[in-house]
Amino acid sequence: MPSPTIVASPGLSSFLKSLKSTPVEASIEHLISLLKRRQIRNSRPCAVATAQLLLRVVSAFRWTDVSRLIERIQLVGQRLQAAQPRELSIGNIVRRILGLVREEAEEDRDADASALSEPGTDSQPGTPRISGVRPPLSSSISTLSPLRHGAIEPLDPTVAEPDTAKFVADSAQRPPLLTSHTSYAASATAPMATSMFSLLSHPETPSSTATPSGTQSPSGRPTSATQAVFASLTQKDLRPEVIGGIEEIIDELDQVDEQIAGYALDHIHSNEIILTHTSSMTVQKFLLTAARKRKFTVVHAEAYPNDHEATHATVTGKMVNENQDELSSEAFQKPLTAAGITVILIPDSAVFALMSRVNKVILGTHAVLANGGLVAAAGTRAIAKAAKTHKTPVVVVSGVYKLSPVYPFDFESLIEFGDVSKVFSYEDGDLVEKVDVENPLFDYVPAELVDLYITNLGGHAPSYLYRIVADHYRVEDINI
Amino acid sequence: AQGGAQAAAKPPKDANQVSLFGHLYGQSRRTTLAGVGKDVHPAVLALGLQMSNYVICGSNARCIATLLALKRVIESYTTPPGHSLSRHLTSHHLSPQIDYLVSCRPMSVSMGNAIRWLKLEISKVDPDTPENEAKEDLCDSIDNFIRERITVADQVIATSAGGKIQNGDVVLTYAKSSIVQQTLIEAHKRGVQFRVIVIDSKPLFEGKHLARALATAGLEVQYSLMHAVSHAIKDATKVFLGAHAMMSNGRLYSRVGTAIVAMTANEFDVPVIVCCESVKFTEKVALDSIVSNEVAPPDELISPLPLTHTATTTTTTTATATPDQTGAATAGEAQG
Repeated sequence: MPSPTIVASPGLSSFLKSLKSTPVEASIEHLISLLKRRQIRNSRPCAVATAQLLLRVVSAFRWTDVSRLIERIQLVGQRLQAAQPRELSIGNIVRRILGLVREEAEEDRDADASALSEPGTDSQPGTPRISGVRPPLSSSISTLSPLRHGAIEPLDPTVAEPDTAKFVADSAQRPPLLTSHTSYAASATAPMATSMFSLLSHPETPSSTATPSGTQSPSGRPTSATQAVFASLTQKDLRPEVIGGIEEIIDELDQVDEQIAGYALDHIHSNEIILTHTSSMTVQKFLLTAARKRKFTVVHAEAYPNDHEATHATVTGKMVNENQDELSSEAFQKPLTAAGITVILIPDSAVFALMSRVNKVILGTHAVLANGGLVAAAGTRAIAKAAKTHKTPVVVVSGVYKLSPVYPFDFESLIEFGDVSKVFSYEDGDLVEKVDVENPLFDYVPAELVDLYITNLGGHAPSYLYRIVADHYRVEDINI
Repeated sequence: AQGGAQAAAKPPKDANQVSLFGHLYGQSRRTTLAGVGKDVHPAVLALGLQMSNYVICGSNARCIATLLALKRVIESYTTPPGHSLSRHLTSHHLSPQIDYLVSCRPMSVSMGNAIRWLKLEISKVDPDTPENEAKEDLCDSIDNFIRERITVADQVIATSAGGKIQNGDVVLTYAKSSIVQQTLIEAHKRGVQFRVIVIDSKPLFEGKHLARALATAGLEVQYSLMHAVSHAIKDATKVFLGAHAMMSNGRLYSRVGTAIVAMTANEFDVPVIVCCESVKFTEKVALDSIVSNEVAPPDELISPLPLTHTATTTTTTTATATPDQTGAATAGEAQG
């Protein structure tokens, strides 16, 4: 079937259309070239393209072993990330999916373990499922729990990552923790994987680990035959679950703006003056939701020269966002003014002058880093600093998919420099010869300039972000 | 002038005014000659339009141009019989000229100071002096004023401020200031090796002219827009700013955006040096940029520009280079 691509200008929509009809390998190459040519750019389109591509990769890949699938996803992820290292959302989605696969695999293994141990331990059917949350752990505490050791060890070397293995080795060097407090040992080995919320939602966890393992362990060591049955079961069960998980991520990408907008009324009061910057869809939906109930004033800095046209379009309501044509159900976004909101469009230079009257600064962002810092449109840093100078609160709205586990040791490497012709037009051609021109696309905004993050999970302080990172990404996936 | 809002399309034109700046919209800015009184001098007519269209722009340029135009007015003036020059010239002949200029664009502080000085000079003219002699005296003192308060003052500032530039410096400046340009070129002529970063902004892009002038003079120039200021400041070792006015509470009133540059420099611990002639000093005080400011018509810009000046808070200017009344330079560490 001939692919219907390159009908319109290549971009996210044409890529998504071609995805079903093109072989997987060709699709990967296609996306890589689109990323390299910046025909797919910005966080959300990149995230959607990555998720859709990986969905296809997972469903088309023939695998007998979960580790093969993980390797495959890692490989594709590495290639995509290498094509556009500054689009952090690509890596975020790859990590999310990797974490998903690992989780499914582990859950599955636990289920197997329980299935196997069932003949032996009828008394506690729920416990083995939990006890195996971190399989590598079993080897270090094998003396305490022969069952866990027996059930898990055969699969262990195939799944355990070098990092995790080292981690286990590290924790093994702390005998007091391991021998006397089994439960603490378990949490020490898995410090990042589960949050306190999941602790609360699985109340059986502490009880199971705290249970003296001797009571629940009869002598059930699986034979090699049962293992084989196992492997085939695993493979059969996992695929739909992983695919379902990826589809959930795609759904999340679709709904994230609405979810964030749901918090709008908690943060905007009547007659407030709100300053924003760039044409962020997330911010616009946030403000529009608030505008249904409240009347306020929006001061909109135009983000010249990289985003001013889109900003003008947003303000006047002629929003035609080519990046999101397929994604947003409403290609035409109603402007805020239609909702009775006063919108003042200002050049970036007037931000400081107006900041003394602004009640709140609401900013969109390109990416959020693990330390709470932002990679956001150029000019954001000056705005955030101006807000700080005037003690005006700065609120950043961002989907969780923009939150990256990357820690910025080198801020400069995250900054992309753009087209110089936006700064200098052709009439100034004589100057180009003599003058260096710079057009950075992004600013790094340190976390201390931000007061609050609003994600689809709610509002968070900058210091809390590490927890969300820990909830969404696995330690072993931080380097894809 | 209309305001900066792009309000809904249906309300009348006034809806473009932002209530926050309601106090800043006076009569709309004159852009044509229609309805101008007959006693406005042709030189002043032309100047008004030039100022209204930003052909003549900048505090110094506007001050000099106004003085030169008024000199032409004085030259072509004859005292009506039964009146004395010192009493008639100011009230009956200069006032319409000045009113017209104000209707084209609000007066700059330097213009205000110069005109106040001129009125004082006129009032000091002895009624017994023959008219020709009095006019010649006035014209001479206008020339003297321009020379002493601006031309020589600029030279003194340029030498004094230029002395602060050392080999290897990276000087960051915002938009265009004639005195900063002079300072930089003078330092370059002295053989100091340094680099200049020009930060510019919409809508006038004055910095482009500065970049062109400096590049032509042989300096190494980098040009960026406002959005890149946090990047550019990392390289900078000194920031030079021009001024529109210096408030008597120590705040600098300058082109909109100056405050962001000064704030960013302050954040990165880069010294900010403001070059300002004493003719720009005013006894007014300001706490923010909204109470007194100038609003430009939005249609000049496609997108609106509500404010043309910002008052920089004192904490962000670390030194002021300025000549005192006699024209000698004082580069004091006037810490705000």
